[in-house]
Amino acid sequence: MLNQIGNYSLYIALLSSILIIIQYPILLNKNNINVSGRIFSLLSIQSLMIIVSFIALIIAFIISDFSNETVYNNSHTSKPLFYKISGTWGNHEGSLLLWLLVLSIFLFIFIITSKNLSSKYRILTLFFQQIIILGFLLFILFTSNPFMNLYPIPNEGTGLNPILQDPALAIHPPILYLGYVGTSIIFSSSLAALVSGSVNKTWAKHIKNWVLVSWIFLSIGILLGSIWAYYELGWGGFWFWDPVENVSLMPWFCLTALFHTILILEKREIFHSWAVILSITTFSLSMSGTFLVRSGILNSIHTFANDPSRGVFILCFLFILISLSIFIYFFYQNKIKNNFIKTYIVSKETAVLVNNLFMMFFLSVVLIGTVYPIFLEVINNEKISVGPPFYHKLIVPFMIPFLIFMAIGPNLNWLKDKINKINLQQLLFFILSIIVSYIFLKKVGISYLFSLPLFIASFFLFFITIKDFSVKKTNLSQKISHFGFSLFILSVLINGVLAKEYSSNMKIGDERKFLNKTIKFESLQINQSKNYQSLEANFKITDKNNSINLKPEIRVYDQPQTITSEADIETTLYSDNFLVFNILKNDGFYNVRYQIKPFMVWIWISIILISFGGILSIVKKNG
Amino acid sequence: MKIKILVITIFYIISFFNLSYGSNSEKVDQISKNLRCLICQGQSVYDSQSDFALSMKILIQSKIDEGKNDEQIYKFLKSKYGEWIVYDPEVSKNTFLLWFLPLILFVFGAILIIRKLSIK
Repeated sequence: MLNQIGNYSLYIALLSSILIIIQYPILLNKNNINVSGRIFSLLSIQSLMIIVSFIALIIAFIISDFSNETVYNNSHTSKPLFYKISGTWGNHEGSLLLWLLVLSIFLFIFIITSKNLSSKYRILTLFFQQIIILGFLLFILFTSNPFMNLYPIPNEGTGLNPILQDPALAIHPPILYLGYVGTSIIFSSSLAALVSGSVNKTWAKHIKNWVLVSWIFLSIGILLGSIWAYYELGWGGFWFWDPVENVSLMPWFCLTALFHTILILEKREIFHSWAVILSITTFSLSMSGTFLVRSGILNSIHTFANDPSRGVFILCFLFILISLSIFIYFFYQNKIKNNFIKTYIVSKETAVLVNNLFMMFFLSVVLIGTVYPIFLEVINNEKISVGPPFYHKLIVPFMIPFLIFMAIGPNLNWLKDKINKINLQQLLFFILSIIVSYIFLKKVGISYLFSLPLFIASFFLFFITIKDFSVKKTNLSQKISHFGFSLFILSVLINGVLAKEYSSNMKIGDERKFLNKTIKFESLQINQSKNYQSLEANFKITDKNNSINLKPEIRVYDQPQTITSEADIETTLYSDNFLVFNILKNDGFYNVRYQIKPFMVWIWISIILISFGGILSIVKKNG
Repeated sequence: MKIKILVITIFYIISFFNLSYGSNSEKVDQISKNLRCLICQGQSVYDSQSDFALSMKILIQSKIDEGKNDEQIYKFLKSKYGEWIVYDPEVSKNTFLLWFLPLILFVFGAILIIRKLSIK
């Protein structure tokens, strides 16, 4: 029953999509109000139908309707309600339906909030967005239908991967998708603006909000993913430069560059083409990202071949969209105003260009590092791994000038600034940063090649962004975001150099000394939860002044059978105490890994600050 | 050619400075962080508790006890398991573009920007 509802509503949505697309030429010729009224009702029907199908899938998950193949493959009656619901998007089919849902809702919001803009621009945006929606509908209906019937109806499902049964990871995909899909509106509207010859101030002003919204959701989505990786994956890191992580970082770099470009476009009417190119790139990256993760091509190239129809569809759809946008770009680029006057080297415009240059560099490092091994394997049949050392070697040296530019840039004036103005105050802060970094590194006893310049640059940015709060010239949201970023870099660095860890095999009752602390394995107890059994250990960590108890768990899930380790983390403002343990084959012994991670919480706080700056910017403008 | 040598030298300097002079087990940690656990999904040898990873750590320790330096250990592992095991691919004709394409793009972008500006 639910399957039928879901299927039919998707087909109705498909029909509306086709109707809208074939009617658009009529709309462009005459601005007939009746026609646009009809389009609007078609659009409403489409959004409604997609919502209905999504709700149908959620209900199927809630009531564990195993006549639905997706539910059967990804759910189980013994799961808590929360994870039954989040199971809806914790799989390939459901997550694509979520993409589609956000696509159509965003389009709907776009149409009702852009009434004061030219109708040609709105209709064209609608048209391009409908092409994307149509592509997704076809993809879902013919290769990844979440409403497949299963007969005879099984009594029990196969369960959701336990590693996904976690609050942060349950809301992580929807948040991330809001960011990804937001870029589709940017894509469609930039093409629309290009075709209608309205890549200008007004467009920049309008699309800025969408850029910000996507950027905020993407930032928070990445944050949630990192927090989850930190406490769930058990190695105490928050970023591993894993292909799946990289895929979410790439559109972030692009959006950050785009946001700064859009600001300049709005204020100074320059960089039109570049803004359009960035809009197209951002969306292409978001979409390839989702598809690459979902098709499994990234982890292993062979998963891709297991399901050729999906893979081929993905590739064709991406190819069509990207070539369509490139074609449109070259065909209409002469419509773009080119009133670029040579700007002076010391100016805010240059600062934004430099920002973009670095963003594009970071993007290219991540992009090439992620896809190069795939290509090499296909072409040469040679397997290489590209991991953290690669990214650190390429990114860290460039971070130093980037941070310094970021400190100086926002304080420059438009068009032309005097060079000598920069000097005195900033020089003082720079000297201060040298002293602070030198003393800090001396005390910690670290002397890597790049550590001193890197710390100087980060402290410099940190001091300057704090000082900037006293300057009236720039706006508050920018100050918060930039300060958040400097705090982020500094926390990551300090965390990196001061983190300590200890790993040992212990049995109950054992005691180990580490630094000035004593780690005692006190007890172990078995708990029974609704859908898993857990081994809960109790460790006591004592130093001179106080003692804390950490209770990590090993969970044994039965549907499907999986063992996960849950770290226990005690968070304070200065540092995190992180403890995780694992079963060893050796009877009675457990592998225990204890880590002290300084300033960990500030990494999360700083990312929240960065995003908060964006939120403030939207609220202030509309409030 | 000169530039190539220069850049390669710089990379070597970087990788030398990445070494720390800790105790042996710390060194095992450091090396195993740069190795892929071949039987796991996207985990390093250091992070993994699999049999493969555990025996790998013992192997590294024994190589250190033999007095081998990092360079030799990596070389030995690569000859045994292939390039796939190290997270830090070395510069070769296969990985030349991997390492230098981002740098080339950066220089190209910088030139574009400088051409747009007037120096006054």
